[in-house]
Amino acid sequence: MKECTRAQRRCQLGHWPSVAPYNSLKVRILSSRGRVAIAGACVVPLATAALGRAQGFPSEPLVFGAGRVTVGGDVSATTSCAETPGTGSCGTDTGFFNYSDYEYSTLRMLRVDINAVVKANRYMAVLAEVRSENGGSPRPYGLYVRLRPWTERAFDIQAGRIPPTFGAFARRTYANDNLLIGYPLAYQYLTSLRPDAVPASADELLQMRGRGWLSNFSLGNLAKDRGVPIMSAFRWDTGVQAHAGWSWTDVAGAITTGSLANPLVADDNNGKQVAGRMTLHPQAGLLVGLSGARGRFLTQAASRSAGSTDPNRDSVQSAIGADAEYSRDYYLIRFEAIRSTWTLPTIDAPLRATAAWLEGRYKIHPRLYAAGRLDHVGFTSITGVVRAGSWDAPVTRVELGGGFLIVRNLQLKASFQRNTRPAGRVTHLKIGAVQAVFWF
Amino acid sequence: MTRPIVFPAVLAALVLAGAAPPHAARNGSVRGRVELRRVAPTPEPRPSVADLGARLTRDGSDRLRSVVYLETAPRGAFDQSDPAHSIMDQRNETFVPHVLAITTGTTVDFPNSDRIYHNVFSLSRTKSFDLGRYAAGRSKSIRFDRPGIVRVFCDIHSHMSAFILVFNHPFFAMTDAEGRYRIENIPPGSYNVVAWNEGLASEPRVAVIPDGGSAELDFLLR
Repeated sequence: MKECTRAQRRCQLGHWPSVAPYNSLKVRILSSRGRVAIAGACVVPLATAALGRAQGFPSEPLVFGAGRVTVGGDVSATTSCAETPGTGSCGTDTGFFNYSDYEYSTLRMLRVDINAVVKANRYMAVLAEVRSENGGSPRPYGLYVRLRPWTERAFDIQAGRIPPTFGAFARRTYANDNLLIGYPLAYQYLTSLRPDAVPASADELLQMRGRGWLSNFSLGNLAKDRGVPIMSAFRWDTGVQAHAGWSWTDVAGAITTGSLANPLVADDNNGKQVAGRMTLHPQAGLLVGLSGARGRFLTQAASRSAGSTDPNRDSVQSAIGADAEYSRDYYLIRFEAIRSTWTLPTIDAPLRATAAWLEGRYKIHPRLYAAGRLDHVGFTSITGVVRAGSWDAPVTRVELGGGFLIVRNLQLKASFQRNTRPAGRVTHLKIGAVQAVFWF
Repeated sequence: MTRPIVFPAVLAALVLAGAAPPHAARNGSVRGRVELRRVAPTPEPRPSVADLGARLTRDGSDRLRSVVYLETAPRGAFDQSDPAHSIMDQRNETFVPHVLAITTGTTVDFPNSDRIYHNVFSLSRTKSFDLGRYAAGRSKSIRFDRPGIVRVFCDIHSHMSAFILVFNHPFFAMTDAEGRYRIENIPPGSYNVVAWNEGLASEPRVAVIPDGGSAELDFLLR
């Protein structure tokens, strides 16, 4: 059955623009969603401050049922202003540098996360996270059972829609954990690749450079839709995960239905992803992690449309990653690098992307910190009949900012980012953003 | 030659002797019990939904202990005393003790007894500070010079919290495990006494301390 995406539904309803991108639809959607985010950014801190004074807002997780149920939350309201040369007004991210799909910008968002742990007994707990973005209906983000067969040993089995095994950032996407406002490119920037559509040739893929927010190809699903990031920070995969910890190391492995770029609830690729991670913590304050993953990327339908002969070899995403964190006194430094390889039935050369970012934070005052991130994602070159070059446009982002604690669990953040990309209609874009974060 | 000096001195001594009370007032004490209708729950860590495994269980911090203090202190109570030292340990992701009562000028040491980093900080008006991240075996200190309540947190572990109550007089006491307290060495007189537990203070109650005796005062909180 043909998949009907949100973008398609809009297309079918007659909202689709006759000519490509940067269209009225975007402006209309963004303006309404932007208003929500801006309103949220204003209302959340004010409401929180007012309620906080009245002792009405939680500052710690809510606990029910004699400690069996613990509920926490993370609310963030973000708004931004991109430069619009010549007008002097506040524009949107016309380069789609921060979009997680065609409609959602991470820099214009009101996000509500509610997470809960229900402890059945000493050995078993059910964990869930529900998320709403821009006032939309809440969606389950994670829902799984955690088993700890030996309570005195750090060994866990988790089954269901589980947290990502690979990498470091994907497990700290909460606004409260993010030093800045933007996401690292590896986890958010949309490449032109899609799991449900396949370029017929290298030329067709090259034609989509810098168009990951709305790409289309001639095999598989023909409708325009968003591409995928190297690793999605916006959905969790479904499967089984095992984790064991010792004093100086942790190891985890998982078998899931989707891939790093396209986590799934229901299997559509007839394959499994295997992912593993090892974390070393030789001394307090130092963490070094190594990750690897390999799984089917293309849907069965797309794979068939592209004439795949061996989906286990020609429809796959594999990745390796390394990350490190060091902190001491008032400093915190993080580094992460990911190299991902996709194989497609229609293109002989493997499609590789390498992303790396370095971020740091320094606390200036008990309430105030400054932070910065240098971020880059690059792509290998391919050669078509009429075109040659990197299969997607490399992006570099520098983001500088900081945070101010109003109270312990209410923070205001501000950041400024500069994005550069040698392809696409917008090749340079400066964006300022502010965010209010409340957690309990 | 010496007479003019000796006479006034003897006279002064006699006058002072005559003006002195027949005996010096002896200090007393106030004692009693603080009963908690409901014990404040130990905060749970935030749900670790995004973690690869469960966190190890930890000891609950002691929320039973209250502080009882004189709201109005006797004259002379505010005289500077020698600088004191207290310790608030970080052990098993818990501040120990959970409540610390000290006098102004006291320096509190915050040793880290865990294998992991902690980052003690406070945004309280009484004392705002951030000790940064430091590892096991290390300790950092803060001197508290202003009276008031200081809420202490760990920037890394959101479930870690503690209170430091800073008094500008020494007339306060921590309750024991049964809620009993005793404030000693109070000059005779009438005083307002307050009991405090986990951010909640009782209405002041009057205690009349007899000469060399003891007053009884019980509190019911929450």
